Amino acid sequence: MATLASLLDLRVNRRRRLLWAISGIALLLSLFGMALSWRSPEIGLPLRPGLDFTGGTQIELSRRCDDSCPPLTVSALEAGVRSISLPAEAGESPPDLRGVSGQILDDGELVLLRLPTLSAAQGQALVDQIRPLVGEIEPGGLSVDTIGPTLGAQLLRSSLISLLVSFVGIALYITFRYDRIFALLALVCLGHDVLITCGVFAWLGLLAGVEVNSLFAVALLTIAGYSVNDTVVIFDRIREKRAELKEQSLAEQADAAVSATLTRSVYTSLTTLLPLIALILFGGSTLFWFAVALSTGILVGAWSSIAVAPTLLPVLSRR
Amino acid sequence: MARQQGWVALILALAIASAALLASYGLQLGLDLRGGSQLTLQVLPAGEIRSVQKEQLEAVKEVLERRINGLGVAESTLQTVGNDQLVLQLPGEQDPSRAARVLGSTALLEFRAQKPGTEKEMQGLLPLKRQAEAVLAARDPALNQDPTDAGGPRPTPQLPPEDLARSLRDLGVEVPAGSSESDQIGLLLQEVNRRLVGLYGPTQLTGKELTAAGRQQSATASTWDVTLSFNREGGEKFAALTQSIAGTGRVLGIVLDGRSISEATVGPEFKAAGITGGGASITGNFTAEEARELEVQLRGGSLPLPVKIIEVRTIGPSLGAENIRTSLLAALSGLALVALFMVITYRLAGMVAVVALSLYGLFNLAIYALIPVTLTLPGIAGFILSLGMAVDANVLIFERIKDELRSGNTLIRSIDTGFALAFSSILDGQLTTLISCAALFALGTGFVKGFAVTLGIGVLLSLFSALTCTRTLLRLLMSYPALRRPTYFLPGAELPATAS
Repeated sequence: MATLASLLDLRVNRRRRLLWAISGIALLLSLFGMALSWRSPEIGLPLRPGLDFTGGTQIELSRRCDDSCPPLTVSALEAGVRSISLPAEAGESPPDLRGVSGQILDDGELVLLRLPTLSAAQGQALVDQIRPLVGEIEPGGLSVDTIGPTLGAQLLRSSLISLLVSFVGIALYITFRYDRIFALLALVCLGHDVLITCGVFAWLGLLAGVEVNSLFAVALLTIAGYSVNDTVVIFDRIREKRAELKEQSLAEQADAAVSATLTRSVYTSLTTLLPLIALILFGGSTLFWFAVALSTGILVGAWSSIAVAPTLLPVLSRR
Repeated sequence: MARQQGWVALILALAIASAALLASYGLQLGLDLRGGSQLTLQVLPAGEIRSVQKEQLEAVKEVLERRINGLGVAESTLQTVGNDQLVLQLPGEQDPSRAARVLGSTALLEFRAQKPGTEKEMQGLLPLKRQAEAVLAARDPALNQDPTDAGGPRPTPQLPPEDLARSLRDLGVEVPAGSSESDQIGLLLQEVNRRLVGLYGPTQLTGKELTAAGRQQSATASTWDVTLSFNREGGEKFAALTQSIAGTGRVLGIVLDGRSISEATVGPEFKAAGITGGGASITGNFTAEEARELEVQLRGGSLPLPVKIIEVRTIGPSLGAENIRTSLLAALSGLALVALFMVITYRLAGMVAVVALSLYGLFNLAIYALIPVTLTLPGIAGFILSLGMAVDANVLIFERIKDELRSGNTLIRSIDTGFALAFSSILDGQLTTLISCAALFALGTGFVKGFAVTLGIGVLLSLFSALTCTRTLLRLLMSYPALRRPTYFLPGAELPATAS
């Protein structure tokens, strides 16, 4: 019986133009999606920012419904909130509720409101006043998040700085264990994986209104770590094949390494994806997009470690 | 064999210790899992201080800690974040506005004597203040529901609309369009209190000279007073201050954060020596709650710098429980799928891997309990992900073992070679992940840090689990000749003829 590796005896370097074209198109689509999102007057940024980055107040409440929830439409909900007047904080004008956006999830059981920044007292007042509209609220089924916009900027800055620092650290480590070209390749793959994941979410933001929050930032950081982890295993095998198959070309050595590790690459991506798929299916709304982002990153990461790193290596080494 | 027994004993001991640790300490759950409030406070530079330094942040934290203890919220934590922020967690607290009020004000208490020659203006402002306070108090449900209020129905105080409008105009208060009457009275009161401060002389006595603060029910029984005790020096200043205005009709203003909260007249009987004894009380028509908050603020001392609340997150306990349920379900079903996959693909070795992974999970949770790591949703995600990486190490090793078997090596040799060959790529992969974890931990904020900790612990443990637990268990099984069959590791068809 043939093994998975011999069945899929990929000579990746023979088809490298095709593989590059696939990655290239994916990258272009990603950049295009981010550009569209940036130009869109509604978003104005490469990705649609969530509450964590824009600042504001989000109120989530679970309605208590015995059999089925009394019908409630998003427009009735939003109109109801707009008609509420909230007390002003000392020295400030009362909050403007015209920009409210509402969502109704889980068969009407979960109501989500996005509002301008409210103080704790104003948030409480709003919940008290909205009760006639939404009916009974599940005791303890209420969450109120108020985030100042400075905090989001801070989060973004600290994530970017820590990402850059980890790039440098990883590059130094790979240079030390392998050589400079391997380090460069690992970073190219990492950029490829992170960009395409961002691109997928730019499109999701454009087409489905999906927002990125701080969990998405965590997902990107994880994808960066996973991408390198995945690529390094191939590097390790290429180094081994170089010693084993001395008289062959680097492209052939790389192909042999990919074939030898293919089963492992597929299995590993699969075993990492399994818990994430479970998270997508059962994890609830909080973790849904986080799990989608991670799964995308892991799939793209598996692709880049098979199709991008080993095919770019012979080209880069020649120079 | 003897070497294996040592390892087996070690692993067993660790497993028992972990289980005991988990049983006695338990896991600490984050607010997103148990419900509660989290406030992020920013310390703002003020006056001569241009930027907030570490010592000032610590000083603010100390004052806030005293105030929180005064509030009596169990298990609250206050941590400094970065250079100028503090994060306060209040598990179980559903109404963060109370904490926000107490934490946010600086509580600078001053005692000031009224300046001579301002009597006329004072006579205009004080009745207005009393009237506005009475109207607001009558409308405040918290005050009216006071069970100690046994006075029966009282006449509701009124402030006729034309009087209100005239007073607002006279004082030059800008009223935002559409504000309710209560809001307008509130604005009026603010302006009156601000103007009153202008009628006082310079501060002679501040909250620094306080030794204690308490509260008691006032004579009218429906409101509360706050009582104060001064140190010796403060007591002398208070005596001098009261002596200076005794019998003149001028008032003693008690000013909190630049707002006059109480005005007291001092009778002529104190003309000789002032009020001595070092005690005073503030009668400000406080509700029980207000009096308690003021007491807490005064006891805690004043904040050296103002703070601003930049983030408030509140999550109800049943939403938290829902989060636990769904992530637990996801983790368990994901693990079951992975276990099934490993056993089908790697047979005996797969079973060993499942045992090793279970041990890994146990050790991991025990370390969370030991450090302790507060488990949050991103933390659980980090844990699930590190499990994926732990499986990866096993897959790498088992693939190598299969390769060795296919090329005709004996089983025992194949296992040893498999571990040796897989080692360098496992090490490289885990070390690069650890480098990112270190960067995230050192430079990240908030839950990015928590995520880095759980992932980092997971990566280190997975190294131990794959290289020690899996290896020891496999070797132990190989000491039973009945299990030494290459077909227990891969289908016989893949084996070269010589080996079977």
